[in-house]
Amino acid sequence: MSAATRRRMMRFASQLGTLFCAALLVSPALFFFLWMISLSLKLEIDNGAYPPIFIPTHIAWKNYSGVFASNNFFLYFWNSIVVTGTATLLALIVGVPAGYGIARMKASKSAIVIMIARMTPGLSYLIPMFLIFQWLGLLGTLAPQIIIHLVVTVPIVIWVMIGYFETTPLELEEAAMIDGANRWQIFSQVTLPIARPGIVVSLILSVIFSWNNFIFGVVLAGRDTRTLPVAVYNMLSFEQVSWGPLAAAALVVTFPVLVLTIVAQRQIVAGLTAGAVKGG
Amino acid sequence: MAAVTLSHVGKSYGAVGVLHGVSVDIADGEFVILVGQSGCGKSTLLRMIAGLESVTSGDISIGDRVINDLPPKDRDIAMVFQNYALYPHMTVRKNMEFGLKLRGTPRAEINEKVAHASAILGLESLMERLPRELSGGQRQRVAMGRAIVRDPQVFLFDEPLSNLDAKLRVHMRTEIKALHQRLGATVIYVTHDQIEAMTMADKIVVMHDGRIAQQGAPLDIYDRPANLFVAQFIGSPSMNILDGQFAGDGSAVFITDKGVHILLANVPAENAGRPAKIGIRPEHIMLNDSGIAARVIVTEPTGSETQLTLDVDGHELVVLIRDRVDYKPNDVLKIGLAQNHIHAFDADSGSRLTL
Amino acid sequence: MTLASAGERRASQQARRLSGSRKVGRISYWPFVLPALVVVSAVVVFPWAFTLWMSVSEWKVGEPYHFVGFANYLRLLHDQRFLQSIGRTLLYTVLSVVAPMVIGTLAALLFNEKMPARGLLRGIFVMPMMATPVAIALVWTMMFHPQLGVLNYLLSLIGLDPQDWVFAPDTVIASLVMVETWQWSPLVMLIVLGGLASLPADPYESARIDGANAFQRFWYLTLPMILPFLLVAMTIRMIDALKSFDIIYAITQGGPGTASETTNLYLYSVAFAYAEIGYGSAIAVLFFLLIVVLSLVLLHVRELSGRILGTTK
Ligand SMILES: Nc1ncnc2c1ncn2[C@@H]1O[C@H](COP(=O)(O)OP(=O)(O)OP(=O)(O)O)[C@@H](O)[C@H]1O
Ligand SMILES: [Mg+2]
Repeated sequence: MSAATRRRMMRFASQLGTLFCAALLVSPALFFFLWMISLSLKLEIDNGAYPPIFIPTHIAWKNYSGVFASNNFFLYFWNSIVVTGTATLLALIVGVPAGYGIARMKASKSAIVIMIARMTPGLSYLIPMFLIFQWLGLLGTLAPQIIIHLVVTVPIVIWVMIGYFETTPLELEEAAMIDGANRWQIFSQVTLPIARPGIVVSLILSVIFSWNNFIFGVVLAGRDTRTLPVAVYNMLSFEQVSWGPLAAAALVVTFPVLVLTIVAQRQIVAGLTAGAVKGG
Repeated sequence: MAAVTLSHVGKSYGAVGVLHGVSVDIADGEFVILVGQSGCGKSTLLRMIAGLESVTSGDISIGDRVINDLPPKDRDIAMVFQNYALYPHMTVRKNMEFGLKLRGTPRAEINEKVAHASAILGLESLMERLPRELSGGQRQRVAMGRAIVRDPQVFLFDEPLSNLDAKLRVHMRTEIKALHQRLGATVIYVTHDQIEAMTMADKIVVMHDGRIAQQGAPLDIYDRPANLFVAQFIGSPSMNILDGQFAGDGSAVFITDKGVHILLANVPAENAGRPAKIGIRPEHIMLNDSGIAARVIVTEPTGSETQLTLDVDGHELVVLIRDRVDYKPNDVLKIGLAQNHIHAFDADSGSRLTL
Repeated sequence: MTLASAGERRASQQARRLSGSRKVGRISYWPFVLPALVVVSAVVVFPWAFTLWMSVSEWKVGEPYHFVGFANYLRLLHDQRFLQSIGRTLLYTVLSVVAPMVIGTLAALLFNEKMPARGLLRGIFVMPMMATPVAIALVWTMMFHPQLGVLNYLLSLIGLDPQDWVFAPDTVIASLVMVETWQWSPLVMLIVLGGLASLPADPYESARIDGANAFQRFWYLTLPMILPFLLVAMTIRMIDALKSFDIIYAITQGGPGTASETTNLYLYSVAFAYAEIGYGSAIAVLFFLLIVVLSLVLLHVRELSGRILGTTK
């Protein structure tokens, strides 16, 4: 065997080793989601079987049709979209300029406020906000949830955007200034278009974490203002617990987020690494 | 076009002074180059003229208008940045149009000006490309095009060629010079490349630690450096400097600290015995059989000339010889100094002494 | 008189120039920050002020406000359930920091290597932290089921005894930590991966030339260089673990009994189940202080280590 062949085989073996380790590492996640799908597609008899059955003997689409047919599903779905959409939009509107201002003023220290927001348990916002919304008579509407979701979305947007704007060269803005742009023109015509990737990242992260939020809804949502995570949790307590429909509902709730994660994996990885590190 | 006047311009960041009373008169249409070591304040001065940095003290005027407090867009200047600062999301055409559009220039006029500038710079075939699709030299040209379309009174350049390779740099040097002659605009240009300074400038301003060390025509500065700093900064390889003092008996001799006697053309009587430094450029030292003995340390042939590093009684001298010579280390040869090209400087202040 | 006025004139000129020049040199960025400042004050700062005010009151929903000074805080010192919840939270946090740190760091080192399908594998690995917590909590609950759950089946395959998982007081914390680790190791992985990506190549090449083996390269080069990132990951992980809510609430609601009732869950019960606003606010304040103090400790460690290694910016 020539040295070159041996070296190639060694490299192949070590690659195989890494791949094996990686497979081992992702197996809990992979198994979990496969099992989740399996649960959601099985009839109750299959789900109640021991030893457990992995491949459904009969595909129970009715678990899913049940979720969609349940009277309030589309209302809750819509609530989730409104809350997440509005909270993200508002966060972008105030957060993107703020990230720009903070980055340009070199006032990253002021981001400490954001750090505090990150350190505060969500519940401590909820107590005062709950009372205020009660006084304002807003509790039957989506407004309270939208407003309190800003606690999640605004810091994410500011965080990611500070990092982005810090890396866009000042020279460009100076060139625009000499070209005769005023500060809004500089921001809207030069800085913003360049920062588009950053805006996309902050949008995605903001959507995901707002969509996933549970605690705010538990306290603030009424019967008609539940978001999907709260609604699916309530299934557990109010309906007779049967695994198939429950798993199907759980999957439906988290499906948009998982799709987004897979589609935008690159941006998410970039955003989370940058944002998190800046945050320390 | 307009003259630019800097009078006693100072700049400090908090307590740190960066520029101290800089005064320069730049005539209409003049090509002025600011040179100096890294960190001496060239960019800061240029950016103050552009309006990107505030003026701490003194006045900057363009034409007869003091512009200290004017925002950049009202100063009628254009600037070319070291990294070009092209808007990455706009095509070449959009980049060039941007400034005109912001000023509300009519469409027809914009088109005409952009066409004109792109013709001058040979950019016609690149107009719809994005900056990232251009080579370094092309980007450089777009940056200049963006300045030209604005038809400003003053062009500002901050080390525009430092990102280009050596060959392209020489080429662009010629192009910028030609452009200046063609447009007849006032140009203020920052570089720390002294060849650029010597070849392009009508006037060189040598800066040192936030002050002007000397200003004047390139050859004047080369021939009569006002102080030790300029003497050593301008010229490559740089001037040889020897420490010592003038002979105390009033004869035209300089005695180095290692005891070497150097004959000068003349020493004014009041300088007899005065400690000083003398300087001589490498090209003003010749081989001379009746001269001082020197031992070769290093030989560096460049093809067109040969640079020798010599040891003369403990002094290290760099000599530039036009002829092909074939010396080896430790060879001994004899050299002579061109008497009327010897410069003298005060030992303490470093300012030029008349000989 | 003339002298004085000349001096004054110069002074006022100077003042004008300074104020004018500030406008030229650096434009003001406050207008950009202002809207966010208003929003942040409204949703972060103001609730905090309000919470402090409430924490010194005896106040139940529907009853009038009644100032009691520090009584709530004093009461907390004797509240066994609160004190136990703190201990439980700390235990939960230590475990939920250590395990994801180890697994996440290993994962980062692994995903930093070239391998086929790296993007896909990394994507799958990241999915748990992105998935909706309540949704995955429901599925974990089913998997934990002592009789029908798949976890006990998997245990039986490798010959281990079935467990009661979250249904027994002495295994509930460990089971929840397992979920937390599964969910949050990816975040550690991402942060450390960012650190690894920022490492310069030259030291590695010169170390190779010096003959350092893979382990030595890791120990003497990689580890010191990514230490700041590890500490950042640790800080973030710690904060998140301390205030963990969704998973615990959805799986056990603090049970069985109070075996998994962390401070955050106790806070929820007091404030919203028992509607004791004042007392709940006091818990919120103390809990927040705990988080801040622990974070500061870690930040301090980070600065120290940064100084030792010369890596602080
Ligand atoms: N914002 C600032 N705050 C404090 N000091 C500054 C600031 N900007 C520049 N300086 C200092 O001012 C001095 C001059 O800087 P400047 O950029 O003008 O140098 P330069 O001559 O252009 O050098 P180079 O050739 O390296 O570009 C430097 O010592 C620099 O450290
Ligand atoms: Mg500079």
